[in-house]
Parts: sequence; C-alpha cells; structure tokens
Amino acid sequence: MTDTAMAATALGKRFGRRWGLPRSGEAGTGGGWALRDCTFRLPAGRVCAVVGPNGAGKSTLLALAAGLLAPSEGRVTVLGTDPASARARVGYVAQDKPLYPQLTVAETLLVGADLNPARWNAEAAERIVSAGDLNPKARIRTLSGGQRTRVALALALAKQPELLLLDEPMADLDPLARHELMGTLMSQAAQHGTTIVMSSHVVAELEDSCDHLLLVGGGRVRLAGEIDDLLAAHARVSALSEAADLEPHTVVESRVTGRQLTALLRPAGRLPDDWRPTRPSLEELVLAYLRNPQAAPLTPATSEESAV
Amino acid sequence: MTALATPVAASAPQAGPTRRHLRWLLRLHRPALYAWGALVAVLVLVLLALWGPLLDSSAAAWRDYNASCAPGSEHCRYDQNAIIRYRDVYTYTTFTMNALPFLVAAWSGAALVGRELENGTARLAWTLGLSPTRWLAVKLTVPAVLIAAGTSLLVLLHRLAWEASQGRVDTAKSWYDDPTLHANGPTAVALALAGLAAGALAGLLIRRTLPALLLGLGLAFGLYLLAGLALPHLWPTVSNVTGLDTGYAYEGIEVDSGLVTSSGAHIDDPGCGTTTTDGCAELYTKLDATGFYVDYHPESHYWPLQLTTTALLLAVTVAVTAAAFVLLRRSTATSHGRREAAV
Repeated sequence: MTDTAMAATALGKRFGRRWGLPRSGEAGTGGGWALRDCTFRLPAGRVCAVVGPNGAGKSTLLALAAGLLAPSEGRVTVLGTDPASARARVGYVAQDKPLYPQLTVAETLLVGADLNPARWNAEAAERIVSAGDLNPKARIRTLSGGQRTRVALALALAKQPELLLLDEPMADLDPLARHELMGTLMSQAAQHGTTIVMSSHVVAELEDSCDHLLLVGGGRVRLAGEIDDLLAAHARVSALSEAADLEPHTVVESRVTGRQLTALLRPAGRLPDDWRPTRPSLEELVLAYLRNPQAAPLTPATSEESAV
Repeated sequence: MTALATPVAASAPQAGPTRRHLRWLLRLHRPALYAWGALVAVLVLVLLALWGPLLDSSAAAWRDYNASCAPGSEHCRYDQNAIIRYRDVYTYTTFTMNALPFLVAAWSGAALVGRELENGTARLAWTLGLSPTRWLAVKLTVPAVLIAAGTSLLVLLHRLAWEASQGRVDTAKSWYDDPTLHANGPTAVALALAGLAAGALAGLLIRRTLPALLLGLGLAFGLYLLAGLALPHLWPTVSNVTGLDTGYAYEGIEVDSGLVTSSGAHIDDPGCGTTTTDGCAELYTKLDATGFYVDYHPESHYWPLQLTTTALLLAVTVAVTAAAFVLLRRSTATSHGRREAAV
C-alpha cells in the first residue's frame, strides 16, 4: 500500500512523425515531444484536475499512466508500481470514449465482466447505465455522445479501480447528466477512497470538485499541488507602477494600464498593504500561467522527487 | 485504500480466464466466425460434388468421347456440358482456395487489428483488463486454430477430389499446375496462417483499417510469390539428358534447361528445336552440343517440395508474429518484473 497514487519522474513522450511510434535516439531537437520533463507526485485519495489547452499533453500523460503508451524517457509509477502491473487496479476512459460499436449496451457490460472477473461490480455498472434511460438492447453505434460517455464511465467504475483516469470525461454531456455523473464520481471517490484524475480544458468544470491541480502547458508541468496551497501561494496585486518594486517576488504576469500596475505573483515575503493583495481564483491563476509560458513553474513535487 | 469494497462476485458463472477471453473474442467477431464457417461449408460441399457426381458425369462424358469420337467417326456423342461444368467448378474452387490467404490477411489487417487500433477499442480492452500481449495472443491464436482447421479440411478434400480425377478426366490438372499445387497440400494451410500474421503486423504498423487491409494484402501477396519462387529450389532436382533429335523430355516442375556439350558442360539453348528442324543440326555441331538437359522435379518430389515450402512459410509466419508482438510491446507499457505468458 502506498500513499502515492501516481508519480512521474522526468517523464517524456515523443511521437514519431509517422505511424505514432516512438523513435529513440532523436531526442533534443524539440519537435515531436508531446510531453517533456514531467515530474510530479499525486497523493492517493485526491481528485486531481489535469488542466491545459488542447494539445498540451494531457491525453498523453493519462495514456502513459494507463500503460497504453511506453514513455520515451523518464518513468511514471501508479499505485506504487509500473503502469503495466497496475492495469487491473486502474480505470481509464479515453477522450473519444471508444466502445465496440457492434455490441449492445448489455453486451458491452458483459465484456467488462469477462475481462475483469475478480473486481467487476455488475450492479454498479447497471445502476449508472439505467440512470441514463439507456435501453440495454441498443447498439453502441446508435448512442449519442453523452450516452456513450455514460457507458464508458460505467465500464470504468464497475471495475472498482483504485485510480481512475478520465480524459475529458464530461465534454459530451448535457449539464444535467454532467451534474449527475460528477456526483456519481465524487461519491465513488468518497466511498472507496478512489483517486480520480480528470483532464479538461474547461477550468470551471473542475473547480468545485477537485482538490488537486496539475497544469500542463507546452508538454510540461507548469503547476502541481493542492489547489488551496497553489492559490495561497499566489496573490493578485495592483499598485502605482512607479512605486512598485516587483523584484523580490516571482512574477507570473504583470500588466500596466496608465499608471496602474496589476500583477499576479508568488510573494517571496510580506507584500506592502497598499498593493491590495487578493487571492486569485483558480481560473485566473490557470490563465495567467497559460498566457505566460516563460513564468517559472511551481511544482512542489520537484523538491520531493528523491523521496518518491 | 483499504476501505475498497470487497469485489462483488461477478454475476456470470465462474469461468477460467481462457474461456472468458474466448467469449470476449467471439462477441466481437461473431460475423467473421459465421462467414468463415459458411465459406468452409460451401467449399466442402462443392469439393464433395467435385469428388463425386460432377467427376462421375465428366468421366462418363470423356469415356463416351473417347469411344465414339475417333477421327472420322460419324456418331460422336458425349455430354459436353458435364465436361465444361466439371472444369469450371474445379477452376473456380481451386482459385478460391488460392485466394484464402489474401482474404485472411485482409480481414486480419482490417477487422481484427487495424480497426481496433484506429477507433481506440484496443485501448479499451487494454484498460479493461487484457494486457496488450494477451490481447494480441488471443486475437491470433483462436483465428489461427480455426483457419488451420478449415483450410486443412479443404486441402484434404481438394487432394482427394483431384486424385480421383487423374486418369478419368482427360483435361484434369497435373500435380504441378500452379493453382492446383497450392490447393492440394499443406502450403495452402501455411499460406493462410502467414496471411493472418501478415495482416496483424500490417494492422499494428499502420493502425488504420483501410491502409492496414491493403498492406496486409500486399504482404500476403509477397509471401505467396515468395512461396512460388522458393518452392522449386528447396529440394535437389532430377536431371534428364535427351538426344538432340528427341528434344526435352520431362514431366514436372522445370528448374533449368539447355544444351549439353561433349565435355558435359551446360550451355544456353539457342531455341532452334530438334535436329529435325532445318539448320539446327549444323548449329548444334558448331556449339559442340550433344543433347538437351533439363533439371526438374518429378512427381516423387511432391511431398518434399510441399513440406519444405510449408516449413519455410511457417518460419516466416513465426518471424512476422514475433515482429508484431515486439512492435506492440515497444509501443505500450509492459510490466518490468515478469514476462507475461504469450498465450
């Protein structure tokens, strides 16, 4: 048993130009890296948001953790072992929710049961599916995007995973279904201590339900840690531009409008009261980092790396 | 994490992993299984007809023809349709059996592997509990057994039907007729298995349905050509030397031919013909030729040729299969501690 659900050390994945195969021995040219130098640690029992723009490497990171891809460099461990050995204890739902189109909903659940005899919870799968008014005899290919998402989530949850990796899980769902399925996920996490890692490019979607953040941009980890800690480590300030000396602090973003300077920064010490420091929202924080790729990343796990 | 609920026992009756994986594969590829079963059944029926009634009526027609249609005979009566029907059915059936490896390769590349990688359902299986290695192993083993069983049965029947026709149907194909050779022996089974492996490799390489279908077909065609080219060279030939006035004399698969000189050397045949042709005797004297030679395989070489070619094809199949597994294991995460059992 380990208290780390997922950890990466200098993890990198490079795609060959053709056929999606990794090419070794070409490192360092910069092109083709979907993920580079990625180091973080996710404690068990958290609900972690993986946030970043499209093409940032979120899907690659989740696929590496699920053992679907082999890393080009570095390593990733899940549940204290390598992803291949953890397969049975990890659930994964891919972004496009692949399912066998020729099978019916009921047959799809039987496939899940056949491939996971030891852990399968048929009751849970049927509960999730029936909550969506799905006809068990309907073929997968006739389902809408949201219905497919529901079946895919049912497959992943019925496996009773210790770690659940969800790639853009809610993208296809209407608000009602989104709310209901998010509730199902959260109760799963609370009941079984399941660690959930879900990616999204919509920050607002995750703010209420997640307690941990992994911000990926340009193939690198820009922010990693508990959301509360990350927010507490940053401040939005606004001051007169000639009077303000930002020097000792780590500036993520600053803007001058007339004589007024506004900035989002990581204070190195106490901030002057006339800067009117306020706590940023999660969305403000994420956007500031995404707008400013040169800003120094904040990944507490980097310093703990040797302890992992 | 210790609070994780004890797994609820699966509602399905307990079964071993092998049976469960078989059930999974069957669920996915039931139409292909039915299609294969139907194809084999139809071919079996046609081959039985070729062996029985069609052959009998054709043989009777040939008997009538030979009895009543001597040159100058006035009452030439025979059932021409029976002869044509037998020949057509034989030709199409033999052609279909020659096409089986391509059919298998196209299906394997497209439906078995390529489509699953293209639409992501391979990843679904890998995250549901089948390791990639096991996934490919199940996907190859079960079809391999069915393909081997089906083609073996067809080859056996084809061989029996062909043997029965020898000496009874005047236009029956010789043992070395190319399509007949590849439908009459174990090379047909090996080619079908090679097609399965080639399709799987194509699917893993390209990861897309249609291109994998084409590459699978291309690879299978390459193997078919390779088998045809290699077959005559996998067993020592028999040499036959004949006089300049007789010309070449052999029955079987020719590997090399030409002229023999007085010193016993083999030289190219200028293509003049026998000495009965005007001017050829002079030419051969000038070339110091004493006879024609031909290196060939007589019918007694049938089994050695079939078996060595089959062995070669099976070796290639094993290599292609190994390449497919290496490719899959390189591109997906594999456990470091233990090697997963291949089957």
